Parts: sequence; C-alpha cells; structure tokens
Amino acid sequence: MPAAAQIRVMVVDDQMTMRSLVRTGLQQLGFADIVEAPDGEEALRQILSRPVHLVISDFNMPRLDGMGLLRALRSHGPTAKTAFIMLTGRADKELVQKAVQLGVNNYLVKPFTVQTLKEKIEAVFGKLT
Amino acid sequence: MIPDTHRSDTAGSRRIHVVQGEYAVSDDPDVMLGTILGSCVAACVCDPKAGVGGMNHFLLPGDKETATAGGGPQALRYGVQSMELLLNALYRKGARRERLEVKLFGGARVVDGLSDIGLQNADFAERFLQAEGIHLMVGSLRGDKARRVQFWPVSGRVRQMALVEPGKQVFEAERAKPAPAPVADDGELELF
Repeated sequence: MPAAAQIRVMVVDDQMTMRSLVRTGLQQLGFADIVEAPDGEEALRQILSRPVHLVISDFNMPRLDGMGLLRALRSHGPTAKTAFIMLTGRADKELVQKAVQLGVNNYLVKPFTVQTLKEKIEAVFGKLT
Repeated sequence: MIPDTHRSDTAGSRRIHVVQGEYAVSDDPDVMLGTILGSCVAACVCDPKAGVGGMNHFLLPGDKETATAGGGPQALRYGVQSMELLLNALYRKGARRERLEVKLFGGARVVDGLSDIGLQNADFAERFLQAEGIHLMVGSLRGDKARRVQFWPVSGRVRQMALVEPGKQVFEAERAKPAPAPVADDGELELF
C-alpha cells in the first residue's frame, strides 16, 4: 500500500481557490508533497524540471489546457506513465472520453467530496496508508 | 409566489431568469438576465470589450460545518464550482480575466434566528474574487432585504430593486430548490 505522504502531487487549475480546495483535501488524506500550477504550460515546465507521481488537473485553462498537458506528458518518455486525474465539470463528458483515449487514469467531477477524491486516487494507486 | 413584475424599460429585452444553482451567459444586447435573491448571492460579470457577460446564482449549504466554521471547504466547493462554471463559459465566448467587471448582489439576512447564511455567501463571493485577482466593481451585499436584480450582460448595466415581500417568503423560495447534494460521482460515465 503506497503512503500518501510519499506521493508527490501536482495540482493544476487556473483558479487559485480551486487549487486551494484540492490541496486542502489532499492534506486531509495525508498528502504532504503538493505543488501547484495555474495552467498546463507552467505545470509541464515544473514537471519536466522535477517529476511528480500524480497530476490532478482541470480541463479548462488558459495557454495549455488539461488535455494538452495530458498529451504532452504522455508523449514524453520520462513522464509518459505519470498518473493523471482530470478535473471536469458535468458538461465535459465528451472531453473526458477524449481524455480516456489519450490515457487519463481517472476523472473527478466538480464539486467533489474528499471521500471521492480519495476513491479516485486509490483507484489509480491502490489503497493509501 | 413572488410576482415577476415588469418595468417599462425591460419590455424590449428578452428575459432569462437565473435560478439557484444555475448560470447564464449571453452576448446578445437584447438579453436581460434576472434573478431574485434572499440569502443567495449572484455575481454579474461582464467583459465590455468582448461584449459578453453572465450571471450566476449560488447558495452555500448552510449545514452545521458551515455554521460553526464560517464555511468549511466542503461547503465552499459549491460556490467555487458556480463561479468557475460562469467564468469558463465567459472565457469560451471571448472574455478575458483581466477585463472582467464584477458586481455582486444578495447575501441578505432575511430570516432571524438562523445562522447567517447570507453573510457566509457574501463573504465567500468577496474572498473568491480577491483570491482570484478579479476586479470587484460594485454591488450590494448583506442587509436584511431580499432583492430583485436585472443585468444586461453586454453593457454591464445592472439594476437592483428591494423587494417588499417578506424575507421569509424569498428564503423559502430559495430553498424550494435545495442546494446540490455532495457528488460522489454522477454515475453516467463508466469508464474506469
């Protein structure tokens, strides 16, 4: 069972308030190594500089959106297997299906509970300790 | 039932009523967005250069957590979601964050004896804009009167009227549509 504290997470959303909510949820689940970016471009820059185990990314963002970030990570050898959970609104179902084709590991419909966040992460990593 | 009265200068406008939990965006200069607010808050957002604007209408769930903790993350997510849906819809129509002009309305304490949900809604809306660096132009928040708000999304013009109906009537009307339940999953998309 992976320890949450050992998993490095990148939270990507153009809204600081949403990043803060996700960070708070992650901290409640025991995650301690959390970094943030306001768009896909900045997230990619940080990840290429220092890899992460998990990306939790919004879809709608300026510059490089969630789909573009996913595509970039999957096409780059060292980051191709980075776990990726897409944050989405209810209206984005077609986009989730596209993300699945690009290799997204799971998706999270906003607004979500901490319990749902936990379930989605555990679906990717297995039960957390 | 709160009467949906018309004023003469709205006669040429196509009216869209925005109810709790929803939002509307338009780039049609003949569209007027309207809503009735008690403790709920509506953000009227306009990008005058892009000629597009929109309004949402949200209510943070007034549960025990909210009442005791001044609005915990579990409660705030509904407000964040409402603001995000509105802003993303505006961006898709060409609005730019740095040009947005926001006017906030609502958040009244319309019923005595309950926790002040209106205050929590109003505080959240102001904190959200501040945190996101979005310009709050003006508005009318808190107080003890329900409001009718009319917003022309292209020009950014807005009009507020205090309602003479008892606040309790508006309060109950707002709760006729309950705040959304926590979303475990919508269950409609089985991919994993």
